[in-house]
This record gives sequence, C-alpha cells and structure tokens, in this order.
Amino acid sequence: MTSVDLAPADTLEGQLAVRIAAAAPGGDAAAEAQLYRLLAPRVRRYGQRHLRDDHAAEDLMQQVMAMTIEKLRAGALDEPQRVVSFVLGACRMTVMEQYRGQRRREELLERFALDVPIADVHVAPRLDHERVATCLERLPERERAVLVLSFYEDQPAEVVGRSLGLSAGNVRVIRHRGIGKLRRCVDAGRRAA
Amino acid sequence: MTRTAPHPDWQALVDYWLGDTDAAATEAIDEHLLRCDDCGAVFDEIVALARGVRDAFSRGLVPSALTPDLVARVKASGRRVREYAVPPGGSVHCAVAPDDELLVSRMRAPLAGVRRLDALFSFSFAPGEAQRLQDLPFDPEAGELLLAHKLAEVRRLPSHDVTLRLLSVDDAGEREIARYTFHHRAGTPPA
Repeated sequence: MTSVDLAPADTLEGQLAVRIAAAAPGGDAAAEAQLYRLLAPRVRRYGQRHLRDDHAAEDLMQQVMAMTIEKLRAGALDEPQRVVSFVLGACRMTVMEQYRGQRRREELLERFALDVPIADVHVAPRLDHERVATCLERLPERERAVLVLSFYEDQPAEVVGRSLGLSAGNVRVIRHRGIGKLRRCVDAGRRAA
Repeated sequence: MTRTAPHPDWQALVDYWLGDTDAAATEAIDEHLLRCDDCGAVFDEIVALARGVRDAFSRGLVPSALTPDLVARVKASGRRVREYAVPPGGSVHCAVAPDDELLVSRMRAPLAGVRRLDALFSFSFAPGEAQRLQDLPFDPEAGELLLAHKLAEVRRLPSHDVTLRLLSVDDAGEREIARYTFHHRAGTPPA
C-alpha cells in the first residue's frame, strides 16, 4: 500500500485550474478542455457508485464539471489549485441534493450550462456478455449464485447472506474467490480474442 | 500538501462498489478515486464485470441458484419470468415462450439440517447420463430451492422429461431428499 503526497499546485489538475482562473473568463479553452477530460471520468465514477444509474452519473458529471469550470472562470475559488477538493465537495453536495430532491437536474444543467468540449471523455468499455456468461458457468455453483445475487442489483454481503442463510463474512469470502476467477477468465478471453 | 489515502486493493474496491465499506472507508475511497486514475481504471473494471454479470443474467444466459426475493424483484421490474413450482415427488408440464426472459424452477424440499445440497439431472433424451450440480447455496429455512435455467439452451431442446433428484451430502454419504419430474414440451406454452 502506497500513498502519494503532492502539493495541490504540483498536480496537473491544480496547474490547469490556476491557468483557467488566471485567464479571462473562457480565455483558456485548452486548459478547460484538458481539465474536463481529466476530472470528468472521475466524477462519473463517483456518480456510478452513489447514484447507481449510468444516466444519473452522466448528468452528475456534466453538472459538477460545468459548475467547477464556471467557478474557476469567475475567480470564485479562493485556492484554484485545490480544485479536486472543490470537485469532491460539489459531488457530495449534488448527490445529497438529488437524494433530497431539492433541486432538479434540469435546473442545475441550465444554471451551469457550458460550451466545454466533452466528446472525448474516457468511457469504461462494456464486456461481451456471452463471454461473461461462459466464465460464470465455469464457476462452482455457490460462487456463481453469490456473484449473480451480488451484482444483479449491486447488493452488499449482508443482504445476500441473509437470503442464503450465510454470514456476511462468508459471502465476502465466496464473492472474493468468485470474482477473482471471473476476472481472470474474462481477461484471458479478451487476450485470446 | 495533499495526502491521498493509500491505494485501495481490488477487494476494497469491490466492497466499495457493493456498499460493504463503512462511511469512513467510503469517503476515503471517494476522495482517492478523484485523484488516482490507476485506481479509477480498476474501479471501471469492477463496474464492467458487475454490468457483465447483470447483462448475462438478464439475457437468460446464466444458470444459477436464486432466492425468492430476487425472483420477485425481477418480476416487479417488468421482466417476463416463467416459473414452475413443484412439490417433493411431484411433476409438472412445462414449456418456454419466445418472450420469456427468465425461466425458474421452484422445488419445495425438506432442507432443514442439510449441510450440502447437490442436484442430479437426468434427461430422457440421454439415458444413462446425468448432470450434477454440486454444493448449491440454499436457505434451510426457506424450504425450497430456486434454479434459473439457460433459456437459449432449453429452447433448443426437443420435448423430453427431466428427472431432478435433490441430494443431501454429508460425512455419512448422500441421501435423496426429494425427486421431481419436469415434462418439457418444445414450443410455446398454452397462455
């Protein structure tokens, strides 16, 4: 296990944010686009984890990134080099507001609409479901069932365990074994293709 | 200085995705993923695997033991589920419709005290052969076993009979606890 210590101004995100804040509003389009490409996939991951919906995650990504760049353009961030901390706070706030239903996504999108290029934002690839099915079928029954019950609706170990008469710890052990085998099998299939 | 949390390992990211991390660990990983693209790529891989499992199961490609709760939720989501329930020693006539999305057999069985459960399938079109599913997960208190079948495979089969024996396995050996017969008819089931 390793960790990384960097001064915010030493990170690429921090440098880009400082450039955007220093330029006339919208004056450094290249830095804006680069910051968007860098941070947008990370915000989408946050949305996938906390909203459990790809479309909602995509909306979150657009809202938070537009809000961030708007704030940088307006010089409204005291420490633009700490842009990642701002983005994290914006993610948390936006998701909480969605949970509470206090603000509709259309309002946010309209409020922070921007003309930042987003076409080349990284998207995680989808797997061939036939290949996944073949690999699942190779697993022992118990591991396969635990993976189906866990991932069909993204359920935690405690919920899956309750439905199978197993402890959460036991489910995690079975799940860990099963997904490790599934990952290796799918990878092997991709390399062979 | 910006100190990022240590890189979470694969298992920690799986736990994070499935909601098995506590609030502090979840926040730490949230923050780490906003700073670390290497871990983000691993996270993407987990999300892709999760989607792959979901897609494969949704398309009826994965035979699996299921729970009544999951089947109920699949039905509630609007998916077309065909179920055949059968008591111990019982039989049922069955078929699959073209628009069925999940085929489930529900076998009521005396599961209390069973340590390991195996299922032995015999098909009338392959006399002398049997297919064995070992160590099926089950809830002893539920009193039934639910199995999802591969739809595409079942659709290709001719009319036939399937005998399913449930076996309790322990140190003393194995014993049959219930037997069922499925009379499968090729073609569309009656409405």
